[in-house]
Amino acid sequence: MTTPLDTIKKKRAEAINRILSKGYLSTKRVYVGMATCEIAAGSKDVMEVFESAIKKEGLTDVYLSQKGCAGRCNLEPTVEVVEEGKIPIKYGKVTREMARQIIDQHLKKGEAIKEWTIK
Amino acid sequence: MPRKYVITLCDGPTCIHKRSKELETAIETELARHELSGRVSINLSGCLGMCAKGPVMAVNPQYTVYGNVTADDIPEIISSHILKNKPVARLCIDEDHLYNRFFRVFGDVNFFGKQMRIVLRNCGIIDPENIDDYLSVRGYEALAKVLTEMKPADVITQVKISGLRGRGGAGFPTGIKWELTARQKTDEKFLICNADEGDPGAFMDRSTIEGDPHTVLEGMIIGAYAVGATKGFIYIRAEYPLAIRRLEKAIADARREGFLGENILGSDFSFDIEIRLGAGAFVCGEETALIHSIEGHRGMPRPRPPYPSVQGLFDKPTLINNVETWANIPVIILDGAEWFSSIGTEKSKGTKVFALAGKIKNTGLIEVPMGMTLRSIIYDIGGGIPNNKKFKALQTGGPSGGCLSEDYLDTKIDYESLAAAGSIMGSGGMIVMDEDSCMVNIARFFLEFTQNESCGKCTPCREGTKRMLEILTRITEGKGQEGDIERLERLGNLIKKASLCGLGQSAPNPVLSTIKNFRSEYEDHIKLKKCRAGACTALTGYEITDKCVGCTACKKACPVGAITGNPKSLHLIDQGKCVRCGLCFDTCKFSAIKRS
Ligand SMILES: Cc1cc2nc3c(=O)[nH]c(=O)nc-3n(C[C@H](O)[C@H](O)[C@H](O)COP(=O)(O)O)c2cc1C
Ligand code: SF4
Ligand code: SF4
Ligand code: FES
Repeated sequence: MTTPLDTIKKKRAEAINRILSKGYLSTKRVYVGMATCEIAAGSKDVMEVFESAIKKEGLTDVYLSQKGCAGRCNLEPTVEVVEEGKIPIKYGKVTREMARQIIDQHLKKGEAIKEWTIK
Repeated sequence: MPRKYVITLCDGPTCIHKRSKELETAIETELARHELSGRVSINLSGCLGMCAKGPVMAVNPQYTVYGNVTADDIPEIISSHILKNKPVARLCIDEDHLYNRFFRVFGDVNFFGKQMRIVLRNCGIIDPENIDDYLSVRGYEALAKVLTEMKPADVITQVKISGLRGRGGAGFPTGIKWELTARQKTDEKFLICNADEGDPGAFMDRSTIEGDPHTVLEGMIIGAYAVGATKGFIYIRAEYPLAIRRLEKAIADARREGFLGENILGSDFSFDIEIRLGAGAFVCGEETALIHSIEGHRGMPRPRPPYPSVQGLFDKPTLINNVETWANIPVIILDGAEWFSSIGTEKSKGTKVFALAGKIKNTGLIEVPMGMTLRSIIYDIGGGIPNNKKFKALQTGGPSGGCLSEDYLDTKIDYESLAAAGSIMGSGGMIVMDEDSCMVNIARFFLEFTQNESCGKCTPCREGTKRMLEILTRITEGKGQEGDIERLERLGNLIKKASLCGLGQSAPNPVLSTIKNFRSEYEDHIKLKKCRAGACTALTGYEITDKCVGCTACKKACPVGAITGNPKSLHLIDQGKCVRCGLCFDTCKFSAIKRS
């Protein structure tokens, strides 16, 4: 008999596979804060910049996701760039223009922009 | 060249007791010896929740956790892990606690590193609108475990052992409430998640739901199984559209995956959840008023007992808990009730989420282990007071809570300690005030709020708060009378005793606590007609001193033309015309205007 625990393990495996098939293992994972507070600070604009860049500029090695609020209200909108084996880079107070530059410099050339990170 | 690392060293009480400070020195020495100080930073954290294996440290990235570390182990950790990227297997503790993941992303930032995340463990690291993300972080495994291995009574025992208490304000032991509901023998029982969140400035519950809605649902489903409820409601205010949308999506996804509805995960347990929108009245967060509101009546409280656990929604036994309370449940089941009860103080277990606001550098949402001091929250996490101002007071518990002065900064976060200090834990509002805040004015602000929100059913609250507000208003207007402080105290204590529900019973708290801790400020207002913070406009005057260089800026700024003077000569304020708006004070670049 399959128990609920068996079922959930199967479901988790399937869920992980679905996430992987969406490109989770890309070199860079980008998380944009999308909660009421983040959106009020302008994160929708930032999300839009990342979305359209990934689509139009063929950034195949980037996985983009929204996320809830981590808690740093006065530094919102926040964006994290996560790479396996590196300390995740956390950007604060990101604007459209900054998002653009993060794409060009960090995502494309691999150079994190130190001045904008949350300490 | 070695990569960059951050070492998180537990600075919690147990680890300190087990000599974690020696590790800190050893790490610093080793780093200096290898000339690594610039590439590796050390971050002291609050309790990491693995006290039994303390002292504990984690190395980021990857958040490799080492336990039972001694100073003698440090050279090996540095030379193997940091220099060669080879973790020291013999010291690794493979504790896959649910919250560790958060720190893999955020652990190296001081603001986050000092926190402990149980309720908010997934907030900010997963996509809240994708059930796959929740499943991938062991989502719904606690539910499956409960359905596979535990009887309803076992679940209740675990919640009791965990020591969890209600996070909605009153701090009632959750396990006992569940047991009481479970004991009722009826054909139907209900369950409610209280997401009304009416405290001004509070957004803990909204953030939890927006960041991780499934954890709330999972907690509720487990609760329903434990007490035998068939139907659940989430009561949430209509002003939270995004939270509502995410809940709706989460409920639909959970139904599709078989976590809600008939025969959950193939078991013979069935349960479903509906959302009910509130109009945003503060009193509707009170459990009996909330129940009336769901039933379609006016949201007015009724006397208790009977408690909702015995007679609640549609007169059936009803288990009602706060959002944050529910969100703790999956972690208690998966990480263990004993583990949970190892965090915190004797009577307050686990963590508490706070919305940190006011005159503080790092405003935001934080989750800290119970037992952390207020000082540590304000200075270590909050970064202290901005603009070199002095700390004056901390308000906790919103309109039902109180203001604590500097003398109480070493108070520990714990239901009893905060109550003893004259405030309450409340649902998690935390407002920092500096020297520019007037305590009488703050008390007035909160009382005005509760006075407005009083439902009017009982006289002490309806009339009493109105009289108190009148007195407070006249004090801030410079018309305070001898004996007003005593009148406020007498009225306040009366309202506390005679009101029907928690709103009235707690409404005087902000006033009584400010009188207790800042009595001299009340006396200044009444006797000297002075507001030392300069916040009560009627009691504040402005004067130009001889520092004035005659730049004319204030003259231009004054909206009523009260300032006269020629360029390059001393200016003067006509006190008869001055409306005490303070604009000149803010305008003068030469600190030539004095506030008195
Ligand atoms: C005026 C008033 C407002 C309240 N507002 C809330 C609220 O917004 N959210 C909440 O969870 N509890 C609120 N409560 C407490 C509830 O009555 C109840 O105790 C709580 O929901 C129980 O859940 P818990 O045991 O998990 O804390 C309020 C109480 C009073 C008297
Ligand atoms: S105490 Fe106030 S809010 Fe509560 S029932 Fe009485 S009038 Fe209504
Ligand atoms: S702004 Fe200051 S310095 Fe300038 S005229 Fe007014 S008081 Fe004098
Ligand atoms: S005090 Fe260090 S793990 Fe608890």
